[in-house]
Amino acid sequence: MTRSATPKLAVYAGLAALGLLAALATRRPELVLIAAPFALFAAVGLVLARQPQIDAAVELGAERTLEGDEIEVKVTLVAAVGAERVEVLMQLSRRLALVEGVNPVQLRLADGERRELTYRVRCTRWGAFRVGQVYIRAHDSFGLFRNEAVLDRRLPLKVYPSEENVRNLLRPLETQVFSGNHVARQKGEGIEFADLRPFVPGDRIRHVNWRASARRGELWINEQHAERNADVVILLDSFAEARRGDRSTLDPALRAAGTLAARYLQQKDRVGFVTFGGTLNWLLPTTGAVQLYRIVDAMLDTQIVLSYAWRDVTTVPRRTLPPQALVLALTPLLDNRSEAAMLDLRGRGFDLVVIEISPLELLPQPQGEAGVLADRLWRLRREAMRGRFERAGIPVAVWGDEVSLAAALEEVSAYRRRARAASA
Amino acid sequence: MVYAVLAGDRLPEIVAVVGATGVALMAFGLVSRWTSAFPAGLAGVAAAYGLYLALRNGAVDARAPAVAAAVFAAAELGFWSLQRTPSRSERAVLLRRIAALAAGAAATALVGSVLLVLATGASGGVGLEAAGVAAAVLAVASIARLSSRASV
Repeated sequence: MTRSATPKLAVYAGLAALGLLAALATRRPELVLIAAPFALFAAVGLVLARQPQIDAAVELGAERTLEGDEIEVKVTLVAAVGAERVEVLMQLSRRLALVEGVNPVQLRLADGERRELTYRVRCTRWGAFRVGQVYIRAHDSFGLFRNEAVLDRRLPLKVYPSEENVRNLLRPLETQVFSGNHVARQKGEGIEFADLRPFVPGDRIRHVNWRASARRGELWINEQHAERNADVVILLDSFAEARRGDRSTLDPALRAAGTLAARYLQQKDRVGFVTFGGTLNWLLPTTGAVQLYRIVDAMLDTQIVLSYAWRDVTTVPRRTLPPQALVLALTPLLDNRSEAAMLDLRGRGFDLVVIEISPLELLPQPQGEAGVLADRLWRLRREAMRGRFERAGIPVAVWGDEVSLAAALEEVSAYRRRARAASA
Repeated sequence: MVYAVLAGDRLPEIVAVVGATGVALMAFGLVSRWTSAFPAGLAGVAAAYGLYLALRNGAVDARAPAVAAAVFAAAELGFWSLQRTPSRSERAVLLRRIAALAAGAAATALVGSVLLVLATGASGGVGLEAAGVAAAVLAVASIARLSSRASV
């Protein structure tokens, strides 16, 4: 602990000296009475002063939690040599709001005493944090010295974005070769009925359609659609964001990315994740619970990095975007580079769906005639962008405060059904 | 300060001006949290009492222990206020601090009364005066030495 004298020590010593000298000069013993307590206080305080020895340990209720959840943080103080007044401050990120407990707190620690301070903290926003930097300031009984220490007992805390309520996922147009939950176009082992065909040697008896066989006088076999998995790539546009206070278009985008990744992985699909923007991060598509943790951890590192570099999809490693993958692009449609990249992806034959994270709620009210005109022009440009997507056959679903993610996905499904009916 | 002005029979205006300056400095120090202004104000208030004593004729002021206790308590309360932090004190800590302050003021008054009785009973002389000077210098030197050693 770093020890330093408070201004009180110098002041009391000075007042004592001044009083005693004044008493001598004026030959008044009363002034000795005025000076004596300051002298005695300083002298006794100096004699009794000692260096406190305080240690702290930090314990987190959980290492991983969800946005909006509360966790318990326990700080255990152990004083080998105590102090009359000990101020304890546990540093917290402003994204972690204290719900219960006093921080900072002033308490007394006797020699050998052990105290537990319990805090309840609400994780108001997703992110990766390190919790447990403890600042300690100990005062002696006389307040003449302070001893300060910073105890770095930080522990990692990962706050994942909260999940959106999604019941039905988008079905990919193409499936892969491994078994999964999607009904494939190809025929094979499955449950969904596909067609009837005449019996050939080698067919299993249990596939015989007895009713059709009886009607036609020869054996007929049921064929099924195979059940396969799919490749899904979640493409997060991190070129730009709209922000107002603590709210940003990146937050719902990450919530959607986490939800979709979890749901597709539950269906045994291979899920990949690409952050496409000022910095490029990617995770190759794969299956399993571990992949979900990888994706969510990658999401926590996501941030908007301002960049003027022109990036296109050729900068994304080829294996990250497997052929016939369903690409779900989460974008606020604020940057022309992401628009160009998406049109490029569609041009390369990817099954692309754009989920637009609406930035409109985060925009300030336009001021003045020029402001209103600029706002209208900006909205028209966005409409034109959506029109270009639709002409390229890319469904665009707008997700904002008034529309849930489930409704936005349903909108895409409806668009695809209409497109199939029109092309048939 | 009020006591010095009301009890004084000679030049109470000067005592009042010195005391009021001290009080104003203390108040300014507390409001602006300027640590240097507060002790200067405290010294000003003590100086007003010293001036009152210097202008006073006659015997030792019997109320000096009470004045000493009041000045000490004011100093302690002032520094408590100046060293205020955003941390919330536990009730036990607060009570112990208040009790310590009250005990300090009471001890000041008690020790002051004893010293006053001793001072009143003692007869003057060069030897006693030299011993007083030596004690004062020794006290100040001890504090200075202890504080320089302790603050390392």
